[in-house]
Amino acid sequence: MSEPFEPKIVAFVCTYCTYAGADLAGTSRLKYPPNIRMVRLPCTGRISPMFILKALQKGADGVLVSGCHPGDCHFTQGNYHARRRWTVFRALLNFTGIPLERIRFSWISAAEGVKFAELISSLTEDIRKLGPFDQYKAMIHETEAPVSL
Amino acid sequence: MSIQEQYRKRAAELLASGEVKIIIGYGAGSTPDRRRALFIRSAEDAGLLQVDQACDANLSGYLVSEGLLSDRKKVGIFLRPEGIRSVNILAAESQLDPLQIVILGFSDENGSLTPLQGSSVSDFSALISTLKERRSTPEEQELVEKIEGMTPEERFAFWQAEFAKCIKCYACRQVCPMCYCKRCIVDNNQPQWVQTSSHTLGNFEWNLVRAFHLSGRCVECGGCDRACPVNIPLRLINRRMAQEVLEAFDYFSGMSHTQEPVLASFKKDDPETFIL
Repeated sequence: MSEPFEPKIVAFVCTYCTYAGADLAGTSRLKYPPNIRMVRLPCTGRISPMFILKALQKGADGVLVSGCHPGDCHFTQGNYHARRRWTVFRALLNFTGIPLERIRFSWISAAEGVKFAELISSLTEDIRKLGPFDQYKAMIHETEAPVSL
Repeated sequence: MSIQEQYRKRAAELLASGEVKIIIGYGAGSTPDRRRALFIRSAEDAGLLQVDQACDANLSGYLVSEGLLSDRKKVGIFLRPEGIRSVNILAAESQLDPLQIVILGFSDENGSLTPLQGSSVSDFSALISTLKERRSTPEEQELVEKIEGMTPEERFAFWQAEFAKCIKCYACRQVCPMCYCKRCIVDNNQPQWVQTSSHTLGNFEWNLVRAFHLSGRCVECGGCDRACPVNIPLRLINRRMAQEVLEAFDYFSGMSHTQEPVLASFKKDDPETFIL
């Protein structure tokens, strides 16, 4: 019997809101799938689109980017800048054929532990349904193949 | 008087009077149908200038050459409307002072070259506003829509096949007036964001990064498209990105030299339908 596919999901989160929200989910003993790997950053404004590409390059099946709600940024406007960047980058990913269901964005505040746990559960389920990102993985495998002369 | 004669005369006047220290224009290229950048410093050389349909390169990238503008003297430059937009962007990004640039503008109207009135960037704002209204050529728009109509898998396969051809010569970067970084992200190896080996993965990443860095900055001069030795339709991605910033933020690049760069500014009510 084959085991169910366990997706690898990388989450880039800001330390002031979403990371604190995740912390609240943990201290509230809320259950969410362990498929998520969190990377904590000072602000969503610090999250370069390169991070998303790097996560895919290292074999992630999905990426979540999350930070403070608009107006709540610790640095006043980091998330506004990030929002514009995501809009454009998301359009680019879509145009080049990277399914948008794999790259998700959210606002989660420090008080929204429940929202965090629910989002991670639904995200994991969605990506489990999509299966591994085979098209991208084929490209990664190509780089690992021995050189043929 | 032909446009070429007219502009040779104007260039000679500018140099003779000492108004500009150098003129950046087009001279004969390696074959009769090609032109290459020509830099002239004395009025006698104005006869070497060529102005015709084959003058398709966007010369504005030369303006940010190290030390060119540091003596505060003026520089004359031949530009098409797209080139004028590039100068606006470079000025808005604090790469040059627009008062130092004397523009010798020309545009291609249905196959015949016409001189553009004006010499400083602000003289062309009305012209650029009209460009915003009638941007796309139908064939290119059709191709963009064709790609948009595919499923993500088909799109991925389409671009994968295109990017597989890429040899990472970075000609698209070298030719682009917007790629003025002293150290490009792909030349960085700590961290190594983009894979450098000759596999499709790195090519894919490089082309994504290039397109992203040009979103809201590209003026669609077509330089990258012409420079690409393996004919990747780079212009299509750039067009899609320009379309996106126009639709989402009503932003048309290079409108004026004071226009804030689209990804360095924001509005509190920017659209965010995709954020959960």
